Amino acid sequence: MNDIMRNIYLITILTLRETFSRKIFIAFFAISTLSLITMGIILASVDVESFMSFFGQKAQNNEIILSEILSGLKLMIVSPLFGFGLFLSIFSVSSLVPNMLEKGNIDLLLSKPVARYQIIIGKFLGGTLVVFINIAYLVIGMWILFGIKFGIWETAFLYSIPMITFTFAVLYSLIIIVGILTKSSILAMMLSYIIFIIISPILAFRENFYPLIDSKATEIIIDVLYYIVPKTSELGTQMSDLSISGGIDDFQPILTSLAFMILILYFSIIIFNKKDY
Amino acid sequence: MNIITINNLTKIFNPNSKSSRVTALNNFSLTVNESTIFGLLGPNGAGKTTLIKILLGIVFPTSGTAEILNKKIDDYLVRKHVGYLPENHKFPLYLTGEDVLKYYAQLSGCSKEGLQEKIDSLLKLVKMYKWKRTKVKSYSKGMMQRLGLAHALIADPKIIFLDEPTDGVDPLGRKEIRDILLELKSEGKTIFLNSHLLSEVELVCDRVAILHKGSLVREGTVVDITTQKEIYEIKINQKLDSEIVRKSTEGFSFSQKDDYTLHLKVESPEQRDKLLDKFRQNGISIEAMLPLKTSLEDMFINLIHETDNREDNE
Ligand SMILES: Nc1ncnc2c1ncn2[C@@H]1O[C@H](COP(=O)(O)OP(=O)(O)OP(=O)(O)O)[C@@H](O)[C@H]1O
Ligand SMILES: [Mg+2]
Repeated sequence: MNDIMRNIYLITILTLRETFSRKIFIAFFAISTLSLITMGIILASVDVESFMSFFGQKAQNNEIILSEILSGLKLMIVSPLFGFGLFLSIFSVSSLVPNMLEKGNIDLLLSKPVARYQIIIGKFLGGTLVVFINIAYLVIGMWILFGIKFGIWETAFLYSIPMITFTFAVLYSLIIIVGILTKSSILAMMLSYIIFIIISPILAFRENFYPLIDSKATEIIIDVLYYIVPKTSELGTQMSDLSISGGIDDFQPILTSLAFMILILYFSIIIFNKKDY
Repeated sequence: MNIITINNLTKIFNPNSKSSRVTALNNFSLTVNESTIFGLLGPNGAGKTTLIKILLGIVFPTSGTAEILNKKIDDYLVRKHVGYLPENHKFPLYLTGEDVLKYYAQLSGCSKEGLQEKIDSLLKLVKMYKWKRTKVKSYSKGMMQRLGLAHALIADPKIIFLDEPTDGVDPLGRKEIRDILLELKSEGKTIFLNSHLLSEVELVCDRVAILHKGSLVREGTVVDITTQKEIYEIKINQKLDSEIVRKSTEGFSFSQKDDYTLHLKVESPEQRDKLLDKFRQNGISIEAMLPLKTSLEDMFINLIHETDNREDNE
């Protein structure tokens, strides 16, 4: 047991080091820092009093109004954060598996007393950890800026850290399996973007198209697709709700996406276990 | 004690494809004893690398079994006692030489205790100590190879598989590597070596096996293999392509050196005498005769040619 944990830990650490050594990660970090600085400058230049009078409210129930305005502001920040953070995250991990599978590199790993499933789990944890660190940096940074400016330290805002990381992890499992099957980082990246930007949003709104579709069979197929494909779009919406109100009303998108992730990782291991290198 | 046992290994790559189907190993069996240096020889594409990869769980056999240290090769923990230098290995470029050894040592299950001293002494052994803080990215091919060798030894393995260990290493470095191998053997380690450099193999290996198109064509000690079939150089006073010579040599296998000289390969002295008798009967006089000691290289080349010819005739 100890050995297993240690192997997974070592692969995770190597994955972290690999990402840290790459330009894309440094760029990710730099962009995050730049966003924080820009946000800081904007916040510093607004005055809370005049800000509120701008909205036409006389400060009677200051606290409530303030928090309402804040909600709006947060939404304006959180939603792009989700899209932007995920976009960069996918970009920065898509080559992890293809790099590992390169001739001469994979031989070294596989010849060690490490089981193949441990390698996959380590890669998964490593990539997820990298993204977690980066997203946490960005979100906590924003949270601190807001706290300092408005004196409100709501923890709900911080829920976007696990939510973005989780959504990323679901897509990352897909990147891993495509990487194992094709050794192509481009393909892995494209597939994730297509799901994230096109398929998931369309499927989330599928009921709006149903009046346009005559056949019941097509509707069923679309429904099935909806439950299979990771629900990144709804996860994004839920994250916004969560960071404002602090609650989730429907756990279905999270649970089905989690099931998707576990299944895909499981298949990745099965396929990896059979491959010659 | 047999430290490696291989039973009827067969590996077919892409079995379902007509165009890219390759039989890399064909019913291959072999045993390797403890504390020996074993050399596996064979032309490009013979299946040498494939064999090592199967033993290390990198490639899976189509059929057959193998054991290392009396454990089935499917058991990944057996690799705790195995060191491996792959051909064309690539270490993560962002690590330094020292980091590489530290990282792979930990993956091999080494404890951190005394690891630093071990790393330093190995880096000194392969003459890479002064580069230990340099990133692998800027290493030359020979430096990579030296680091690769150190990496194969870091976990104090009982068996070491080396795939072309002297590839890209200068002559001086090769000598150093040979000395390291002999030293390891004297410590009781078993070394399994893949090589094209027959003259080197001859210098260090106790036993060799020759692999050709996935099949084992010969196995034995270096001495056995190089002197098993003797070759005589015979010079006569008639042209080799004359009718009379052709008649006399019917049924013997030989190669032509020049117009008057032939190289005869004999299984026994009697066979040699028989040819001499034939020459004399036909009035051909023998001007000179001397035994040729075959180098491993000559033997190798002849053997591969022979096997190919036999196949072509079939
Ligand atoms: N992963 C693979 N997929 C398909 N074919 C392969 C694979 N690996 C090796 N082969 C084929 O198997 C055969 C044996 O290859 P192998 O690398 O074992 O040869 P080798 O004896 O090590 O050659 P060399 O001396 O050039 O290193 C070759 O025909 C090669 O094309
Ligand atoms: Mg090879």
